[in-house]
Amino acid sequence: MILSFVISGVIALILILIARTHQTMNIPSLLHPLAIFILGVLDFRNKILPAMYLKGYFSVDFLSLLLVVVSAVLFFLAALYARGYVQRLIEEGELPSRNLKLFYVTLNLLLMALTLAYFANNLALFWILMELTTLFSAVLVASLNAKENITAALKYVFIAGTAMLFSFVGLILLFTASQHALGKGTLNFDVLLSNASTFQPAVFALAFIFIFIGFAAKSGIVPFHSWLPPVYAKAPSAVSVLLAGSVSSVGMYGLLRITALARHSSAQHFTSTLLIFFGILSIAIAVFSMFPRTNIKKLIAFSSVENMGLMVLGMGIGSPVAIFWVIFHSIAHAFSKALLFFSAGILHRQYHSAKMEAVKDALQLQPMASWGLILGTLSIIGMPFFPLFFSKMFLLIELGKVSGWLVLLVLLLLLIAASAFAFLLMRMFSQRAEEGKKQARWEVPRTMGLSVLFSLLIVILLGIYFPSSLQNIITTIVTQLGFN
Amino acid sequence: MNPVLLLGMIKICFILILITVAFLLTRREILTLFSTYSIQSFFLAMVAFLLYFKEKSDILFWLGFLTIISKVWIIPSVLHKVHQKMNIRRDIEFHYLSPTSSIFVSIGLILIVYEVFSTVLKELELNPLFLLGAVLGVSLLLMGMLIIFSRKKAITKVVGYLTMENGVLLFSLFLTELPLIIEVLVVIDLLMLIALATLLSFGMDSTIEEFHQRINPFRGWFKKSEFSLKRTLKNEFLPSSQNSLKKGEQR
Repeated sequence: MILSFVISGVIALILILIARTHQTMNIPSLLHPLAIFILGVLDFRNKILPAMYLKGYFSVDFLSLLLVVVSAVLFFLAALYARGYVQRLIEEGELPSRNLKLFYVTLNLLLMALTLAYFANNLALFWILMELTTLFSAVLVASLNAKENITAALKYVFIAGTAMLFSFVGLILLFTASQHALGKGTLNFDVLLSNASTFQPAVFALAFIFIFIGFAAKSGIVPFHSWLPPVYAKAPSAVSVLLAGSVSSVGMYGLLRITALARHSSAQHFTSTLLIFFGILSIAIAVFSMFPRTNIKKLIAFSSVENMGLMVLGMGIGSPVAIFWVIFHSIAHAFSKALLFFSAGILHRQYHSAKMEAVKDALQLQPMASWGLILGTLSIIGMPFFPLFFSKMFLLIELGKVSGWLVLLVLLLLLIAASAFAFLLMRMFSQRAEEGKKQARWEVPRTMGLSVLFSLLIVILLGIYFPSSLQNIITTIVTQLGFN
Repeated sequence: MNPVLLLGMIKICFILILITVAFLLTRREILTLFSTYSIQSFFLAMVAFLLYFKEKSDILFWLGFLTIISKVWIIPSVLHKVHQKMNIRRDIEFHYLSPTSSIFVSIGLILIVYEVFSTVLKELELNPLFLLGAVLGVSLLLMGMLIIFSRKKAITKVVGYLTMENGVLLFSLFLTELPLIIEVLVVIDLLMLIALATLLSFGMDSTIEEFHQRINPFRGWFKKSEFSLKRTLKNEFLPSSQNSLKKGEQR
């Protein structure tokens, strides 16, 4: 079962390695996520979940399947987008053509590492695969051979890498705790989950802190977020989508699993306070960094920090309803970010800058990208009839059960974030070029337009129609993680 | 071997590892940093071998062997090769902390870690060597982070990261129950991460002309990319980049 996922990846890699042109490298990168999507959807139907594989090193449950399917869709859209986008990067000399093969090989390796990371049941194995995702993402960021990109990639490797080492210390402590409680140490998540209540609380709390550092750095939680804005801003837009939608959610996924353990242990009060504190801190720092931004990609990146903070806050609340909406939020956020980055990428190619000042006559020159950006913004700030409205609302209601003052605080912060977006968009789209300085329109390749349309469609659909099957799946996940 | 002697030797290795970290925190010559790192890894491997004699677990032997191969031999020689191609010999600048104060900070860190770990792990009734290993491992982790914070050159930061990794490995030596395959994978994983970081920091630390050559191996490609290069280098690097552009054209 797991093998079929790996095999599809290996086939894609071989095809890319023997391919000669850009088109022939792109097609396997489209087929690989498609295969994973189909395999994932089929598994939802005909397997008794959770199922264990390879002596419990891997397991397939609803949570991992759901996230694998979501990341497959994102990779498909990104590969579709890259078809036009990367071609343009090569034509303009920003991506050296000898890096092209490296780019596509790493893209597929990243998808493989992510898929396996979601399926890993052994936490040490999960840690290893998570490090691999850092590695491949850094290569993708550095594939544009500019000094700024190397700086960004290096920052990412150092911050995420060092923080992940702390996580490993946490895992060793967790292992020691399980050794003490069970007689035989283990890092298999299913065993840990069913025995979490027997762990010595102080040791578990210490392990939790260490593990939190690494997983939080991976998803960009303050104070480990400083790598995130430069990386998202400098990466090619197709890669920014994957980083914001898939790679950061693998950190969230890890945190969710550890939070599930914490809920059963006697250290629950401490861990939830910690999560709520860092969640609100992330929202606050991100929001106040958003205001002076004039670079649209940086602004979107900081909004990622804000939304990750919101998810951590939801985990801190820890009620079944909150966890339900955290999972929904992570999916809706991924697609909204895809829409935003895809649109921003088109504007970046038109104006060769992500700065607000450079963008002139955007609504006339690039109407689709402009509307994508506007609708994506409406979605990300949580306007009604967009999916994030519901998740933010229910998370705030659940937060109200913890403290009313915190609801007011978070609401105020979300308002500031929305105004930062509104400020930038209004300035950007109202700028007109002077007579005689008008730019020629860059003809957007059809595939790039399709990616924007697809992600827009998914965001709108999620907002107005919440399929009952998805509802059932998320409810089952919450039960399986033991939050009921 | 005599268990008391073994225990004493392990403790001596611990102290020697601490001394190497003190060196890493304060020395300025980059070549010294590399050889200090390789000495540190050697002592780490010694701890693994001594523990192997004590506990008779094969994993420890293989881990020691792996450490010797990868960290005493391969990584330092790769670092040397990279260094030969770079123009810098010394990393003189220190951020935030002077060498002396970083020594004092690291002493403080060790004390804090000891306090926290001995309180928390007390109830698990572990053997005292495990506690010592845990404290030393985590202190090494924090001191490596101190190196990353206080040094400016990316290549020195790589040495800091390697020190952190040694700390984690030292801690995990005391958990022989962890399957070997996981330990091996961890080492491979970190090796790849380090290779990447070294390559990237080569791009960062080399002078701008070298960087040009690195990203411009093809002559015909040069003119086409002039635009993007100028955009990349527009700020502080513009004067030197213009020079080298001319040089490139003459060639």
